[in-house]
Amino acid sequence: MEVELIEIREFLAEHPPFDHLPSEELDELPRRLSVRYLRRGTAFPGITGDGDLWLVRKGGVEIRDDEGALLDKFGEGDICAPVCGQRQPEKPITGITIEDSLFYLLPCDQLQALRERSEAFDRHFSDSVGGRIRRAITAMGEGDGTSLMSAEISQLLRRQPVIVAPDTTIRDAARLMNRERVSAVLICDGKNLQGIVTDRDLRSRCVAAGCNINSPIREIMTDRLIKIAPDTLAFEALMIMTRMNIHHIPVVGRDGVAGLISNNDLIRHQSNNSLYLVGDIGKARDVDDLEMAARRIPDLHIQLVQSAASAWHLGQAISSISDALSERLIHLARQRIGEPPVPFAWLAVGSQARREQTSRSDQDHALLLSDDYREEEHGEYFSALAEFVSDGLARCGFYYCPGKVMATNPDWRQPFAVWRDYFDGWIRKPEKRALMLASNFFDIRPIAGEESLYDRLRSEVLEQTQDNRIFIAHMAANALTHKPPLGFFRNLVVIHDGKHDNTVNLKQRGIIPIVDLARIFALSGGLRELNTVDRLRAAAEAGLVSAEGMESLEDALAFIAMLRARNQVNQLREGREVNNYLSPDALSKKERVHLKDAFSAIATMQSVFAQRYQTERFY
Amino acid sequence: MHRRLPEGPLREYLAQPFPDPKRDCREVEYLSLDLETTGLSPKQDRILSFGHVVMKGMSIELGGAAHRVVRVDQPLDENNVVIHQLTDDAIASGEPLAQVMRDFLKALAGRVLLAHHAELEFGFIDHLCRKVCGERFLTRVVDTQWIARRTLERRNQPFGGSDLRLFNLREHYNLPRYNAHNALSDALAAAELFAAQVAERETKKMPLGDFLRRM
Repeated sequence: MEVELIEIREFLAEHPPFDHLPSEELDELPRRLSVRYLRRGTAFPGITGDGDLWLVRKGGVEIRDDEGALLDKFGEGDICAPVCGQRQPEKPITGITIEDSLFYLLPCDQLQALRERSEAFDRHFSDSVGGRIRRAITAMGEGDGTSLMSAEISQLLRRQPVIVAPDTTIRDAARLMNRERVSAVLICDGKNLQGIVTDRDLRSRCVAAGCNINSPIREIMTDRLIKIAPDTLAFEALMIMTRMNIHHIPVVGRDGVAGLISNNDLIRHQSNNSLYLVGDIGKARDVDDLEMAARRIPDLHIQLVQSAASAWHLGQAISSISDALSERLIHLARQRIGEPPVPFAWLAVGSQARREQTSRSDQDHALLLSDDYREEEHGEYFSALAEFVSDGLARCGFYYCPGKVMATNPDWRQPFAVWRDYFDGWIRKPEKRALMLASNFFDIRPIAGEESLYDRLRSEVLEQTQDNRIFIAHMAANALTHKPPLGFFRNLVVIHDGKHDNTVNLKQRGIIPIVDLARIFALSGGLRELNTVDRLRAAAEAGLVSAEGMESLEDALAFIAMLRARNQVNQLREGREVNNYLSPDALSKKERVHLKDAFSAIATMQSVFAQRYQTERFY
Repeated sequence: MHRRLPEGPLREYLAQPFPDPKRDCREVEYLSLDLETTGLSPKQDRILSFGHVVMKGMSIELGGAAHRVVRVDQPLDENNVVIHQLTDDAIASGEPLAQVMRDFLKALAGRVLLAHHAELEFGFIDHLCRKVCGERFLTRVVDTQWIARRTLERRNQPFGGSDLRLFNLREHYNLPRYNAHNALSDALAAAELFAAQVAERETKKMPLGDFLRRM
């Protein structure tokens, strides 16, 4: 039988959660629907949640609370919550169509029957928000087929191939190879690929054979070529190399020579992990070496995301590299300016301390000096140290901190007693600026120097913050100023006051709110953990948050951070500026639903905090 | 008149009372119909398919949607195949006209006939009734194209033929674009358009009579 109402079926098939339904159910589903049209400005009857589930086919609906604050906004393909059988909200809400709108209605009893027949479909309604996000994260890891084994050669080509004409002398070709630092050169007559000459050919066919280095290169080239297409899988290319015992294969696409792939490229692709990079950094003789090594960070980022590493892994990997860079820079500085006159601890601050960096991060650091420090005697040394490290990090791609949270800033290059006073002041007088600084400096981790200095500071500060309700309440109130968006409306992000944005700042509106909440748990419970996930888990263990609440935040963070990491991979690949902005266009319909879930998990926890600490008293 | 009619679908259809024109148009039931035909002349051309969908008040019930292809024995004109996406094979495997017609009349009983540019649908059905039963087709008709034309005329708004096309009228009411072009999707499209036209005029009293077109 032909599928009737095919357009409606196709529309349903494209929109979650109907996309989870098996094909036969989708064929039948249109017949269970009714269609309603509401003119713009009509009271929306679908919010009572009894009778029917309302799905927007065209147009839009706004839901507001009794004070007129926007709660949600629905557009094409959205189900207008609340849905069948769901508990009525505590406060009265109203809905209104904001455009002429067409709806598909599914009777609640039909919805119930569908849920009973399809588990995947049912999950959308019954799952906790956290459960839904977790499933999405798993799907992301498996789904997009860009893992290591399925990477295409075109993704691994790192540079334009070095090409010479057949009449070039062997000597000139060798010089060019030297200058370009390549181990093979392609010989092309115009656009036609004629052959290849490798280091090995130069040795065996020229040097060992005693040839004339002024002869044309074509005399020693390999002309029976094995070529591959740009869409060949990396894995296949490696197989060919192994089978043929060759180390270079020209990549030829429809428009001619696209590049040259070497077994080194393939091996590096497999081994370009943080361990190798950290090893290279540890061997660096100068800042130039470090700069070279740091250039591989974006590749590492891309590779980790492609091989389905979680955002947590990515943070650990990148942070371990910036740790290594900082450590090596400090080592190089000591070689240059001598040993420190008094004990010090070099502190990573913020995301590096929490091990949550991405490949586009600022540098944030500070110097904690022994109380033997005398400005007039030792000031110059530590100023020079800070400058050397900070400039080195900048050359390695870590931007100078715009807020000047760097050891080059004399404020953040102080002896223990001064740091102790700083914290004391922030905790006793939690004003706006104090809270901002406190947020920064509660996340610190020693990278080099005397760890005991750090340990003492940390213990004393935690002791002071723990159970200090007034200070914690101020921190909480401050944390709640970063609110997640309400959701999406078409390709726009709906933010809190009902305005729209074209993009969402995933860091500002998704990650930071969670990081802030986790920090408050740590401070109020005297927990030593720094990493946000570690903090959340420790907080749940200490009974500061329910296991469910902890999991939903952890999942929300994993999902948002993953989206950010993936978005940054796209930016890196396209050579664009790497940032935290994501356009809703870049999201699949499913991802939009999950991202909205993640935002709502944050909002829920924020409102728990607001109640617990009665934050409205402060702002 | 009814008594003169032979036993059969038309008589059964006429045995059901027509909706009262004084009733509110948002409370009566409609059957939105679209016919795909080989041409515009009921006498010369043939019906290829019926698409109809039930509308109860202002709610279109897709459960009652029907798409029926009529068996035609002669080969089809190439142009129609392109427009309707109905192939000779589909037509050959279709159902006898009498059967499709009987089910259509059963569905229409007690309801208002709804169509866009209803002359065509009415003309073809009327022609069949006269030919088979020797009796004209009686029904209440709502024509979305006629409603649109009357509205534009009352506003003294100049308009062209294309302004009255289903596609353009739907766009005016922010209704979605349907890509499929068959009798059922057009019947649904007309029903949605009518719902939008009624919503546009929303007042307390809206007697059905104000929307009926005399055929």
